[in-house]
Amino acid sequence: MILVIAEQRAGTLNRATWETIAAAQQIAAGEPITIVVLGSGAGAVANELATADVREVVNVEHAALEPYTPDGYTAALQQAIDQLAPSLVLLPHTYQTRDFAPKLAARLDRALITDATGVKTTGERAFVRQMFQGKLTADVVPQGPGPHFVTFQIGAFRADQAARGAAPAPVRSIAVTIDASAIRQKPEAPFQEAKQAVDLSQAERIVAVGRGIKAAEHLPVAQKLADALGAELAASRPICDSGWLPMERQIGSSGQTVAPKLYVALGISGAIQHVVGMKGSRTIVAINKDADAPIFEVADYGIAGDLFEIVPAIVAELKK
Amino acid sequence: MPERETLDVDVLIVGAGPSGLSAALRLSQLQKAAGGEPLSVAVLEKARDVGAHMLSGAVLDPSTLRDLIPDFEAKGAPLATPVHDDRIYFLTRGGKIRFPFTPPPLTNHGNYVISLNKFVTWLAGLVEAEGVDLFTGFPGADLLMDGDRVIGVRTGDRGVGKHGEHKPTYEPGVDIRAKVTIFADGVRGNLTKELMRRLPLADGRHPQLFAVGLKELWDVPADRLAPGTVIHTMGYPLRFEEFGGGFVYAMPEGKLSVGFVVGLDYKDPMFDPHVAFNHFKLHPLVKGLLEGGQMVRYGAKALPEGGWYAIPRCYADGALIVGDAAGFMNSMRLKGIHLAMRSGMQAAETAFDAVRAGDTSAARLQQFETKINDGPIRRELYPVRNVHQAFGHGLVAGVAFSGLSLVTGGWWPRPMHSEPGSDRMEKLADYYGGGAVPDGATGANKPDRQLTFDKLTNVHYSGTRHDEDQPVHLLVQTDVCHTICTAEYGNPCQRFCPANVYEMVVTEGAGKRLQINASNCVHCKTCDIMDPYQVITWVPPEGGGGPQYDEM
Repeated sequence: MILVIAEQRAGTLNRATWETIAAAQQIAAGEPITIVVLGSGAGAVANELATADVREVVNVEHAALEPYTPDGYTAALQQAIDQLAPSLVLLPHTYQTRDFAPKLAARLDRALITDATGVKTTGERAFVRQMFQGKLTADVVPQGPGPHFVTFQIGAFRADQAARGAAPAPVRSIAVTIDASAIRQKPEAPFQEAKQAVDLSQAERIVAVGRGIKAAEHLPVAQKLADALGAELAASRPICDSGWLPMERQIGSSGQTVAPKLYVALGISGAIQHVVGMKGSRTIVAINKDADAPIFEVADYGIAGDLFEIVPAIVAELKK
Repeated sequence: MPERETLDVDVLIVGAGPSGLSAALRLSQLQKAAGGEPLSVAVLEKARDVGAHMLSGAVLDPSTLRDLIPDFEAKGAPLATPVHDDRIYFLTRGGKIRFPFTPPPLTNHGNYVISLNKFVTWLAGLVEAEGVDLFTGFPGADLLMDGDRVIGVRTGDRGVGKHGEHKPTYEPGVDIRAKVTIFADGVRGNLTKELMRRLPLADGRHPQLFAVGLKELWDVPADRLAPGTVIHTMGYPLRFEEFGGGFVYAMPEGKLSVGFVVGLDYKDPMFDPHVAFNHFKLHPLVKGLLEGGQMVRYGAKALPEGGWYAIPRCYADGALIVGDAAGFMNSMRLKGIHLAMRSGMQAAETAFDAVRAGDTSAARLQQFETKINDGPIRRELYPVRNVHQAFGHGLVAGVAFSGLSLVTGGWWPRPMHSEPGSDRMEKLADYYGGGAVPDGATGANKPDRQLTFDKLTNVHYSGTRHDEDQPVHLLVQTDVCHTICTAEYGNPCQRFCPANVYEMVVTEGAGKRLQINASNCVHCKTCDIMDPYQVITWVPPEGGGGPQYDEM
């Protein structure tokens, strides 16, 4: 049985969980899939997950699981895994996963493969992992007794490809015991970097600007397109470095990695540092003056031309 | 606000490279042999992982290794590739002339092609096994001094924002106080530089001469070049007025180390070492080796080439200077790792005796200089003391003098004159005869992105990462840039930096302004060395930042 560990916070499911469900379905080849969701009062999330084409959803309820702590999650998951006895445990490679998964794998003394981007199912099952900043990929085969743990990079699988079941999967609860006094972390309220902090990895559409925008005064040109598309505004490094947009809107190797449905790159040349942060986007549209710009190599649609002419025309068309 | 922590040790070593780790290992050996109250030793390293900032060709002369770790083979030293073939070529634009014989200094029989990253990682494992504390991710930011006496080092603060504000993660640096501080902070080390500014250690010595080396690691079909083949080149793409050359070292499984070294004393302000490297890779000799392969890593590092006369006084009250920080490199043999290790060993022996004797004054630590003078370091460096300086008179003079010095033991009526390399850069008006700088003066071609790359793409393959929200760690007096420098030198920082840190960007209405892409910095120190006005100071960024030179 393949176990998917869902991620929720305060009753809201992290979209990346669906990507992991899609991965599990691709791997399964007939093997049943179980989703486990942890929390206190996360029943609605469990019901939402039950729409997936899986054998069952297991809800681990405990007051000590809200808010999230690595000690609490590790204790609960250790017991859940003991009871459910999966052969493989899959997780989305979120910040929360990065926090507790190594600890959980070490506690159980099992292999953990992090940030995998794919899976090879012909022959021995291997997980694909990038090396050397994505220049090479390694096929990694976990060794030792199961269950093996694998975390998948955000955007490696598509959430909308997770198959839904004909009828909702059964949801059952299992009990775990957690000694609240053994939880060493005392979480405070989630830290907000800025008032309007944005999680670009959750955005479905992104309009990103690069140096071609030339000056901070021209940002409204891009903002209008973002508004018309219902998209978040993001940028390449030079824009955030100049302080024209806050750093949390930076895409690339030193910023966020995103995989929206639509990514519109305005005046972005496509330096590899930027491309590694957005190449998982489903549809990439690039507008750049330089027809030789590397961004056109990853773009699905490209317009070689002046963004200051083209973008207002697109906005006008969208408003019709 | 968190309080500043302090730590007291007997010996502090700043930098976990070949010299620093050799010092640490030697200290624990001496400790074992002598018994008694154990010395406390700490090693600081700015990289997140030991070895991550290590970059060299590299061909290792194992002489010091044999003395330091006699059973290095049993201990699994990563020396997979003994050198079995030496070739030297003089390159012309499209051709090559092979030297009929390999000059003795470049004979590598008995040496090994290594990855310095792997070698240092291995060395660090031995040091840690001895129970020495290795603090990775902690750069030495400031000297702690009491008058002329070095009493330790303050590590860099963490969690400081772009504008100097304290972030929620703020932690002040730690004051590490030591009876002896061994500075192993590498070529143009920031603390050694500061120490030489405060104490008259360089008086009467020649200015250090530097070069910058750019290197890529390539994966090519395994039958391209037999492992253990060592190729050095002179000539193209450099002109007679520039010092330097290329190298290709073959390792097993089709791994090639490909690099290019250029003296940081060139005259032409439009010269760009990275462009020269690209031309080198396009030369038929190199192109034939790389074609169809993949570049997997990139890096750059300065190296001290001034030799014997440029080495400062390496001792002060409570302080010793070792390795590249002091300039223990043989530029004629293109080797320094064994000398760095030797200097580390001898510094450890000096420091150990001094701490045990309860006297760590300069007078006592002068023993280090005696050990250098009486030992293998002087024996190797003194005969080639004038070689790099001779290259200051051009390639022909340099080669002629190098050949001569093999016979004469390097004799010349007096120490050959030299000046800091940055002073040799000429102004555009002088170099280009007062006329306009011709188009394409840098000789740059559009990178084909198969064999040649732009700097930004290369930087990506250096694995360089820094927290973006921190103060710029390149302190530049930017008022010079868009005014005097643009006119006089055409902002050469854009060219000598191999990592695209410096860019003059056109701002609407306000002319040009210097943009410093500090997070691209690969810690090579070239800007600190080569800037003609000497207004760039490299200070360590937040600990853990920098390149990730796996297998370099």
